[in-house]
Amino acid sequence: MVDFSVYGEQTPHISAFRCEKCGTLYYPAPMVCRKCDSIRDPTTNKGWEEFDLEGPCTLLTWTRVWNLPEGFNRKFLMFGMVEFENGLRASGRVEMVGDPQIGMKLTATTIEADERPGKPVKVFVFS
Amino acid sequence: MAPRIGIVGAGHCRFGNSSDYDVVDVIAYSVNAAFRDAGGLNLRKEVDQVFVANMAAGLFNRETALASAVISRMDMEPCPAELVENGPASGASAVKLGYMAIASGMADVVLVAGGEVMRSVTGWESTDIVATMAHKEAEYNMGLTLPGFAGMFTRLYMERYGLTERDLALVAVKDHDNAAKNTYAHVQIPVTIDAIADGPNADVVNNYVAEPLRMYSTCPVTDGSAALILVNMDSPKAKLFKKKPIRIAGIASATDTHCVHNRKDPLVLDAVRLSAEKAYTMAGIGPKDISFAELHDAFVIFELIVSEEVGFFERGTSFLAVRKHETDLNGRLPINTSGGLKAKGHPVGATGVSQIFELVRQLRGEAEEGRQVKDPRYGMAVNFGGFGNNVVTTILARD
Repeated sequence: MVDFSVYGEQTPHISAFRCEKCGTLYYPAPMVCRKCDSIRDPTTNKGWEEFDLEGPCTLLTWTRVWNLPEGFNRKFLMFGMVEFENGLRASGRVEMVGDPQIGMKLTATTIEADERPGKPVKVFVFS
Repeated sequence: MAPRIGIVGAGHCRFGNSSDYDVVDVIAYSVNAAFRDAGGLNLRKEVDQVFVANMAAGLFNRETALASAVISRMDMEPCPAELVENGPASGASAVKLGYMAIASGMADVVLVAGGEVMRSVTGWESTDIVATMAHKEAEYNMGLTLPGFAGMFTRLYMERYGLTERDLALVAVKDHDNAAKNTYAHVQIPVTIDAIADGPNADVVNNYVAEPLRMYSTCPVTDGSAALILVNMDSPKAKLFKKKPIRIAGIASATDTHCVHNRKDPLVLDAVRLSAEKAYTMAGIGPKDISFAELHDAFVIFELIVSEEVGFFERGTSFLAVRKHETDLNGRLPINTSGGLKAKGHPVGATGVSQIFELVRQLRGEAEEGRQVKDPRYGMAVNFGGFGNNVVTTILARD
């Protein structure tokens, strides 16, 4: 018997993609490779390698936002833009005590967040 | 060869809080004003095509299909009408489509109206609705909003070029000075550099929104509308309008990556530069020919970076020009004479039309006393969709 309450319950990850024809990396997923025009079928990802985007990264810039959207019951949230070692970049939340510094090394992980109505969403946390 | 296309009617409501009114009435008010400006309400029967610009009435007001509603409210059936949605660049996109409709030969007279009623929801909800134009998975879901992006952008600019928070405040002081003289502006209150940057209470008066951006570095949440009447200047219909046309010399748009992080340099706004280059080419002029400009300063950093991308200043130097008051009303190149989005306000669907309305007023010499640019020849407007991913540049000329 399948227990749907635990089905799919695992550490959340955010996917990046590699075009198997030319090797170009993408985050988020593209529909067409800008280098070789390969098409990605979003239902099968055939011809594309999907991999977890996580781990060491460098902080490019950051902000501390005080006027958060509806549903965020926090005083503020920090956000940042990072570059991974493979050259991909991403935006997400920054969690640390004190002010981050541009150029500092961080580690990217993924959490599930449910501040907004609807299904929980995957969110990068850089810490 | 495309016909000469000009603006013969311009209408605007006072920007501010219109949340007690139907967004369709708010838009129709400016349409009425535009026809009166052009010579009379009966001229609405001469219109061949209507474009209504609106970003998110479905979310703000639970109203959709606004073009049909405006047509009916104005007794303009069976005139063809379409809604134009291009985020906060919806307004200028609608003007561009109006231009294209006339240039194609399908129309001689086009009405373009833009409007938004955003204060029908809370400020927090409004911020969230506007954020829906960000990439759903990679940006919106993270909790990022437009102030958040602008904060990150500003910090990087500061790190690279030496911009200070006081420089941002200087832009705000200039914009509020201009808005204080503008009949149509939302915030008609001047502010001093002492109150928002230098004084002992500045941290309280001008609190952080998205560090290093403060309240006076961001636009207010504003309702309002604006409308323009475009005409084929070479058509017999042009003679029906009493006002001398202000010619659309150049209008062009360009796009950039949806995700900000996917740009080669997060500080470079290619779509602004490309749209401006195309508009300059179309007009046969360059940055030095522009007499004044309305630049999309939803956050004051945009006024600075856009003024660099369109070629007014070298990269990383625009704030030095602000320090020298070069962009003041009486400066070498007045920027945001209306008060800009910062102080005039930013009803997202109306903004692009409103910017061009300001160009028309200035080029006609109809701006209020103390706000009129001296003998302007060319005015430029840059209307910014998303975080710089869909940008329209318009250049108007007084012939």
